[in-house]
Amino acid sequence: MVNVTRREFLQIAGVLGATFAITTQLPEGLLKEVSAEELKELKQAAAEVKTYVRNLSLGGGSWGPSNCVAVDVKNGRIVRIRPLHYDWKYKPGKDFQTWSFEVNGKKFEPPLKTLVAPYALVYKMRVYSPSRLRYPLKRVDFDHRKSPNQRNPQNRGISGFVRISWDEALEILTSELKRIKETYGPYAILVQSDFHGESKAVHTRPGAIRHFLRNFFGGCITQARNPDSWEGYYWGAKHVWGMDGGQGQNQYRRLALYDFFLNGELALFWGCDAETTPNGHNPQRMASLTCYWLKEAGKRVINIAPDLNYSAALPYTDKWIPVRPNTDATVYLAIAYVWITEGTYDKQYVETHTYGFEHFKRYVLGEEDGVPKTPKWAEQISGVPSRTIKALARLWASKRTSMFHCNGGPTIRGQYATEPARLETYCLAMQGIGKPGVQQIQMHEWGGLNWPFGTPSRTVSAGAAARGIFGIGADPPFVPKTLIPSAILGPWPFEWYGTTLAFAPVQDQFVKYKFPPEEGYPTPRMVWTETPCWTTCWNGGNELVKAYRSSNVEFFVAQHFTLEDDALFADLVLPVTTTFENDIDIMTDNGSGQYNMLYVQYRCVDPVGESKSDVEIVETVAEKLGYDFTYGKSHFEWAKEGWANSGVQDLISWEELLEKQYYVVSVDPTWKEYAQPGFRWYWELPEGQGLNTKSGKIEFFCQWLYENFGNDPERPPVARWIPYGETHQESLFHPRAKKYPLLVVSNHPRWREHANLDDNMWLSEIATHKIRGPDGYLYYPMWIHPIDAAKRGIKHGDIVKVYNERGAILCAAYVTERIMPGAISIDHGQRLDPVYYDPDGKIGLDRGGTINLICPYKTTSKNAFGMVVSAFLVEVEKVDVFELAKRYPEAFKKKYDERSGQTTETWLARG
Amino acid sequence: MKVFVIDVEKCAGCYSCQFVCKDEFVGNDWSPYAKPQPDTGHFWMKIVEMERGSIPKVKVTYIPTPCMHCDNAPCIPACPVKAIYKRADGLVIIDPAKCNGCKACIDACPYGAIYFNNDLKIAQKCIGCAHLIDYANKTDDPGLKTPRCVDSCHTDAIKFGEYDELKDLIKNAEVLHPEYGTKPRVYYLNLPKPFIAGDIYDPEIDECLRGATVTAVDLNTSKTYSTTTDEFGDFWLKNLEWNHVYSVSITLDGYYPKVIGTVYTGKDVHLGSIALFKKK
Repeated sequence: MVNVTRREFLQIAGVLGATFAITTQLPEGLLKEVSAEELKELKQAAAEVKTYVRNLSLGGGSWGPSNCVAVDVKNGRIVRIRPLHYDWKYKPGKDFQTWSFEVNGKKFEPPLKTLVAPYALVYKMRVYSPSRLRYPLKRVDFDHRKSPNQRNPQNRGISGFVRISWDEALEILTSELKRIKETYGPYAILVQSDFHGESKAVHTRPGAIRHFLRNFFGGCITQARNPDSWEGYYWGAKHVWGMDGGQGQNQYRRLALYDFFLNGELALFWGCDAETTPNGHNPQRMASLTCYWLKEAGKRVINIAPDLNYSAALPYTDKWIPVRPNTDATVYLAIAYVWITEGTYDKQYVETHTYGFEHFKRYVLGEEDGVPKTPKWAEQISGVPSRTIKALARLWASKRTSMFHCNGGPTIRGQYATEPARLETYCLAMQGIGKPGVQQIQMHEWGGLNWPFGTPSRTVSAGAAARGIFGIGADPPFVPKTLIPSAILGPWPFEWYGTTLAFAPVQDQFVKYKFPPEEGYPTPRMVWTETPCWTTCWNGGNELVKAYRSSNVEFFVAQHFTLEDDALFADLVLPVTTTFENDIDIMTDNGSGQYNMLYVQYRCVDPVGESKSDVEIVETVAEKLGYDFTYGKSHFEWAKEGWANSGVQDLISWEELLEKQYYVVSVDPTWKEYAQPGFRWYWELPEGQGLNTKSGKIEFFCQWLYENFGNDPERPPVARWIPYGETHQESLFHPRAKKYPLLVVSNHPRWREHANLDDNMWLSEIATHKIRGPDGYLYYPMWIHPIDAAKRGIKHGDIVKVYNERGAILCAAYVTERIMPGAISIDHGQRLDPVYYDPDGKIGLDRGGTINLICPYKTTSKNAFGMVVSAFLVEVEKVDVFELAKRYPEAFKKKYDERSGQTTETWLARG
Repeated sequence: MKVFVIDVEKCAGCYSCQFVCKDEFVGNDWSPYAKPQPDTGHFWMKIVEMERGSIPKVKVTYIPTPCMHCDNAPCIPACPVKAIYKRADGLVIIDPAKCNGCKACIDACPYGAIYFNNDLKIAQKCIGCAHLIDYANKTDDPGLKTPRCVDSCHTDAIKFGEYDELKDLIKNAEVLHPEYGTKPRVYYLNLPKPFIAGDIYDPEIDECLRGATVTAVDLNTSKTYSTTTDEFGDFWLKNLEWNHVYSVSITLDGYYPKVIGTVYTGKDVHLGSIALFKKK
């Protein structure tokens, strides 16, 4: 298959002075058409350093939120990866309009280079990592010619893999697709497709598999993506104020931050880590720089979290208030108590812009349950001294205060997260959110209409270059990502509320869905994943381990750069290229907070080993099955399609874009006056209206919740403190805490984008990412306070077992003052490394430190289907790894690369 | 003459400088400036992380540390084969072709900035990206005109340039370990100085006490440091001297004064929550 024709190749080569490619980068068919003289020229050209532009967002998709990088390449190797300077080929002020603003005579302006996240800067070591999967693999005791009950599914994750050819791999995949379709129909194929991972448009990642199956092959089961970093807002705050466009957080973000710079005084970072979360799926360092600007502009920053996160640790944060995991609800209630009893809330606003405050007031004052929600009451639960709560409440009421978020954080992904999210919204409403300097601000996802300042004159898109989009669709049959193990294991049918999709209207949460959607639909018999990291990133990973290893799954195929996580349980694993290895693509920067961009991505280096891009795999499978997934277009033509619909095609020609590689979008010169900043429009209304709630106002009493779920004790119409309930008992106040007395804080990882880059050897040299055990293995650090460590005889660097009734993992103790006593901190996303399995099919002990294996599988609450991946109970004890190695010699004798850990070799079948 | 000026207070601890230094030198041969760096284990630019204080008065300080490119570099005379030289622009380079791998320079460097390459059997360290600097005027790409660590820093915490261009900053700068006497060309702003922190409250009314004056007298120098508590009763006496003894006292109108006694700044000190009592 030729994806770049000779004519297109010469067009690209022509505009770049015949120097863009080296010979081996040419598709095989094309190579034959190049003359000896041309070949010689190309070889000479390859010896020169060439610079390419690349999107290294690990958020997936063609939406391109990232800060792009410049990549220098010589002789087919990556020399370096570095920030791209906007002024490399364009003159600022002349070729594109810049932006700046002043506060108290101090000028703030973004640098003229992309502020690249650290993950992008270690990426050379991902491309060339010893753990790269270089060829297709088959599980050694899997034989697709045998009947499904003779395929040894119980050995998934145990028996190991053997290398096979692409021909054999494609034979297995296509014949299984045909068999499944003939036996059960296409709807027996579950596709796991998600953002997490590289972003590609022409090379369509994620989404190509689902697009092919849905539009050519006949269908599949879609895995619907839940808004996994907003759980409490999505399932809770939406019922208070709608905000479907913000997953329950303020969706009116444009200029909200600028408004804070002009008018705000106090910034509450409630678990917000601007140094970590913005590095990942929407990578940019502008959020971090902005925090320094806050300091320079004289703003006060307070961070409230059980852990001293990476923002709280820096000089721009004035104060850290430690709060016990997932007890934030009590602090909000006590703050409201202070305001109500001292009369320091915005009574006028509450009167005109909200609904049902009286219900809340009765609950706060204890008129409903006999318990006034005083600061002293909150102190006993949250660990925050009552005097500190009072001081915070008074400071908040006296200063123009905004709430800052960065997605995730310890507040919002625990059991009953709906409650702290709703209570936060109540508190913001009580201080008249929308008034100058009073906003709820996102330090992340600054694309589209969310630009904090310096709004670009155009939004850019490369979406037209992509075939299909990630699995956020909910075309039936679909299953929420949080319920995937149930889809495989049953019992069927099962029901839930809401599509769980990002941007779904709040009304959708009152619609009941079912799987299978109706009689006649099969349950999953085959799984095809292009994002094999559910077990390490989603809720109750061990449930999916059990599901993958059951005979209900007759065939499981995974595509990835490395053999890790979910792919360990696959029957067939296909090696995928990194973005540097793909022939051509077109991407955008849309959410950097600096400048919007459109750019073309030429191939930098040859595919590593025998890897192919996700789209190439699907194209090949489609061709074998007799379909044309290319739609008759070459990759070059798909890229051009992206430009033609980019939104700036009238500002830069295709030829000029091919030559310059990138285009910088001017800032809208009227950006400061463009719109009312943030939520101001609502504050300016004489009476609240226009929100997606029954009353159109901010609802303390959530009327639609009441109408649909009555007095649901797990999500009542008025938010409250729920220590534990029918669904969850992850609380120090529950008897379970006697056995498991520590609460886990599990944030977005500091040195990974979810599961991405766990193998990166340059990241592994950092002590907050990996600690080498006495056995030489790279263990994941578990933060523990010296008091809790001493109680258990644990010293810094000791290997410990972290466990509850759902399983156990190994970590290395990182004894630190950065976590409060009674809590430990372990980020999610470590690579699975099972030591042994329990008889029920789950992992009994994991050496990789995969904390999500042992978090709850049950969702947020009875009628809310978000995930609970933080603030759950565990106990910790010191272990002797040499003793464990004696007990489990097979597991501990596996081969590891001493710098990057597991490689393909680790999982090859022995013998 | 080239210098680095590093503002520690601006370092966000993202390690980008440490990463790009590896990106630049691992797998790339920049002879005659430098041979390739091993995949792991070398930190020609190293982030030194300091966790300071105790809960909840905790901070983390990150100090980016490259080779100090000393004017009085002990590595140069230590080298028996004269492989180490100082360039006219001040950068100190180990000639990878001349180095015989004797490790004398590694022992001689008091900053621990020199690493041994076990594969190539040579000593290696930061070269100030001299291989880029020397070609800066031959490229139109602004990203290739400075050392990589400088280019990768989003807060501009690491600056590199001529002494004269940066001398206003250098006026207030220090060097690491001046006592080594090696005359480093890497200058630092806001190097960590110890703090004494705590919070003041009135247990009888269960309130934080704002406006209390906290005074620390340096018993070594008699210098007095003073601050007042904020809405949370918090105080941070900053920029004290390491390894000094301070006498700390607290006063607030209407309250009995409190003398904490002596405090030693061998490390940052968190005095915890301190109760004051109203005069009867």
